[in-house]
Amino acid sequence: MAVGSRALAATGVQAPGRLARVREWWEQEHIFGYGLILPAFVLITCLVAYPFGMAIYFSLSDYWVGSPGSFVGLANFRDILGNEVFRQAVWNSFVFTAIALTCKAVLGVWLALLLARNLRGKRLLRGAVLLPWVIPTALSTLGWLWMFDSLYSVVNWTAIRLGLMTAPGPNWLGISSYAMLAIITVNVWRGLPFFAITVLAGLVSIPREFYEAAEVDGASSFRRFWFVTLPLLKPVLAVVILFSTIFTFNDFNIVYVLTRGGPMNTTHLFATLAYQTGLAGGNLGQGAAISLFMLPMLGMVVFFQLRYIRRE
Amino acid sequence: MSARVSRRRFLHTSAVAGISLTALGRAPAYAQKRELSFLSWNHFVPASDDELRKQAEAFGKAAGVTVRVDTIAHLQLDAKFAAEAQGQSGHDMIRTHGAVPFLFENQLAEIGDVVDKLGKQYGGWYPFAAESCQAKSGWRAVPWFWISFPATYNMAHFKKAGLEYPKTWAELLHHGKTLKKQGNPVGIAISHCGDAMTTYWSIAWCHGAKVLEADGKTPGINSEKTAQVIEYYKELYKEAMDPEVLAWDDASNNRGILSGKYSWIHNPISPYNAALKEKMPIADDINHHPSPGGPAGIHSAPPLLGLGVWKFSKNVALAKEFIEFLFRKENYDAWIVASNAFNHPPLRHLADHPIWARNPKFAMLPKEAEFAHPRGWPAKPNDAVGRIEANYVMADMVAKAVNGMPTKRAMEWGQDQVALAVKGQLKASG
Amino acid sequence: MITGVRSRAARRRSIAFGYANLVPFVFFALFPFYFMLVTSFKSNAELYSLKSIPLWIQNGVILDHYRYLFGRTEFLTWIKNSLIISVASTGISLVIAVLAGYSLARLRFRGVGSFGTAVFITYLVPPTLLFLPLSQVVVWLGIADTIWALIVTYPTFLVPFSTWLLMGYFRTIPREIEECALVDGASRMQTLTRIALPMAIPGIVCVILFGFTLTWNEFIYALTFVSQTANKTAVVGVTADLIRGDIYYWGSLMAGAVLASVPVVACYVFFLDYYVSGLTAGAVKG
Repeated sequence: MAVGSRALAATGVQAPGRLARVREWWEQEHIFGYGLILPAFVLITCLVAYPFGMAIYFSLSDYWVGSPGSFVGLANFRDILGNEVFRQAVWNSFVFTAIALTCKAVLGVWLALLLARNLRGKRLLRGAVLLPWVIPTALSTLGWLWMFDSLYSVVNWTAIRLGLMTAPGPNWLGISSYAMLAIITVNVWRGLPFFAITVLAGLVSIPREFYEAAEVDGASSFRRFWFVTLPLLKPVLAVVILFSTIFTFNDFNIVYVLTRGGPMNTTHLFATLAYQTGLAGGNLGQGAAISLFMLPMLGMVVFFQLRYIRRE
Repeated sequence: MSARVSRRRFLHTSAVAGISLTALGRAPAYAQKRELSFLSWNHFVPASDDELRKQAEAFGKAAGVTVRVDTIAHLQLDAKFAAEAQGQSGHDMIRTHGAVPFLFENQLAEIGDVVDKLGKQYGGWYPFAAESCQAKSGWRAVPWFWISFPATYNMAHFKKAGLEYPKTWAELLHHGKTLKKQGNPVGIAISHCGDAMTTYWSIAWCHGAKVLEADGKTPGINSEKTAQVIEYYKELYKEAMDPEVLAWDDASNNRGILSGKYSWIHNPISPYNAALKEKMPIADDINHHPSPGGPAGIHSAPPLLGLGVWKFSKNVALAKEFIEFLFRKENYDAWIVASNAFNHPPLRHLADHPIWARNPKFAMLPKEAEFAHPRGWPAKPNDAVGRIEANYVMADMVAKAVNGMPTKRAMEWGQDQVALAVKGQLKASG
Repeated sequence: MITGVRSRAARRRSIAFGYANLVPFVFFALFPFYFMLVTSFKSNAELYSLKSIPLWIQNGVILDHYRYLFGRTEFLTWIKNSLIISVASTGISLVIAVLAGYSLARLRFRGVGSFGTAVFITYLVPPTLLFLPLSQVVVWLGIADTIWALIVTYPTFLVPFSTWLLMGYFRTIPREIEECALVDGASRMQTLTRIALPMAIPGIVCVILFGFTLTWNEFIYALTFVSQTANKTAVVGVTADLIRGDIYYWGSLMAGAVLASVPVVACYVFFLDYYVSGLTAGAVKG
């Protein structure tokens, strides 16, 4: 745009001709736009595109840990579907993600509503609630391992003392249903703050007029929530649920530390079974196929969710 | 004045250049000393790692190089090996375990010359050690040490029950019933951990059962003998153990016996050593006895660790020298002592170190080499065995049976899983 | 927030109700942390005794675990490494994300819409698989086994989300202000730095906190790209050196967990309000 150079001339600054032309070129909307995107673009192509493509190639080849393999098409996917252990892992992942997400969403919204009130010590409370998200997962999961230990579990100890359970208490990590409950608990514990704080941000941005209008109309607090708050929270919730779905499906650390997929493969998720097959067992092609099994489906979920958000 | 200034500026600039180069991880060429790097695990006994580093330094001084020993948790080694093989860059030497020499057969350097030399020097390798490191195309690792897998038991609990330690698995079952009633059950892991698999191999072989046929390709689980083994586990679980063994990881049995609750576990001497270190009074009650036997004799599957050198390393010859240095009698002996009898040599003449004979609690350990087999026996170890181990096939099979699945069906499941593991076999080792 | 005509008693009841409902949440969030803290001060004898009470310390507070952590491991070096890596990689990601976010939010050109989707696609391949080919790239760049490997690779998972967040934030800045500036003769770059950026400070703080948390807690890349003890991050160092075979040094592990959380917690305590308001515009309106 010529404004720049004219403005410069008006202020009396002398600029050499070529430099002025470069500046003009740079000031164009699309050139500037592309230029700003360039660093991100370079990062993505150099450091993301190749590994991403390679990872997909692994799943379509018979790559082994020690030796590159050749293209085999969908053979890996066919092989893993024929293995009962993988089918079990698919079931586990869906159960795990569905229950954990529901808990996080419901409890997250509830917690956000509570935190949005004008309470004293707001900052301290929000900080306290954020703590699980902030502690490194690799270390907090070790803490939970100790809390669920078959001999020393503090959960059992307390529950027995309170009369909620009979000695010796549930074998948390040794019985399928309890083990699944344990890993869901740790996942919800860790992920709840992310939900709560993000929804809180959404809540805080809802203009007061909506609530006041609803109150004037005589709506009860529940109806206020259902007809005013929830619809306005939908975009935030949709995004957070989307992110959380992806990360929960791909969760690795919790299962790896607590149960290593046991008992009897009933807590194996995609990521842990992929690690066991690909890295410990050496069959990288199959491991990659397990990791990426959900890719097409998740991709579609992402696509449709984003379309829904953009429409709103 | 000007000379000083310019010299100062020169020093300043070169210092800045040097610092920025080192910050990028590349030392200036003229200051670089050849470096030999070794990736190993965090040993159970920290003193053993200290001794290793000391010897590495001594070798470095003698050879005019720097030797760097990096140690990480042993479960994390698989991921690192994969990354180094993928990137064709990393350490020079690695500590191998299980099926690593077979999985990475094409990536590890041929090391038969060192193996032969050391074998001749020290009276030959134990067969089970040799088989664990020799792939079809040659030696891919030098057996470094093995970890004995006896039974660790609490003498006080046995005395209270008026029992001697069990010499066979059948005796264990019999004694276990009494001990559990006393409140001191026995413990064998039936879960996703290494200990569960090691114990299964032992029990299976002692009953004459196998997992793979000798050809290394045919699954051998489905048999009368395996059914007997599963029935044994079921009875042991019901009568002599607590349900928590289904949740155990490798450290749980240590905790179990050190807590005073358990009377007997199948485990290396790490709990005893830990109790000694922490000066726990229970150390006086803990003792070991040889792994129990069965109708088909005494057999066990102690872990065997080896030393491998990556083919892409630029210091293959240097690494071989370092390995030979570690195996010098005075160095290896010092290393055994530092580990407090934990490290066992895979060479015959190094195995008569007095540290075992001297201590009645350790005296029985070295004999295990005579009835030890690599996993997969009677088949030769290969990557399929590695996959069976990584997927905890037999531990899951037993867990299913113990949880109520009919023995026959559990066995068939195990057979299927072994077949799947064999099917995906590496074409290289056929 | 919800005002209206209410009696004082009703309001007091509502506040008490709010606190009462918060108690289980706060308890659930904090109990494990409390437990880890208590464990880190317990003697081993008490820790492994079946008769002891796990909820508090009976036999005296000991500092042995902390002493072991500081004396026998290179804990301080690891914390230093983690700090350097987190600050550097978050900084790099911030710059890249600010530029890209502004561009995608403000300037009209082709490809803007699909970028939103592309952001999420990059997260679909889990790091437990991605680390392998990425380690190859790290070797090619010649930065293997240095902290630069992490500083360079961490932006790969920070930039997409941060860009997306800042995109939403920049969109809320009224166009008129910038157009005025342009008419007055400011360059586009000046508009970005002098006008848009100051108004986006909450969003930027949000990105900083998010980035710092994720890079501080990251595990698999830090494990595989770095081997030397001197270059390890806090999380990898603690788990690598304090779990030896079948011996877990529980006391020191918990001590490490507690101390390794301190820097991140400190960040949040200072910037929490910004974090919330940053998410407001970015996530909500994005």
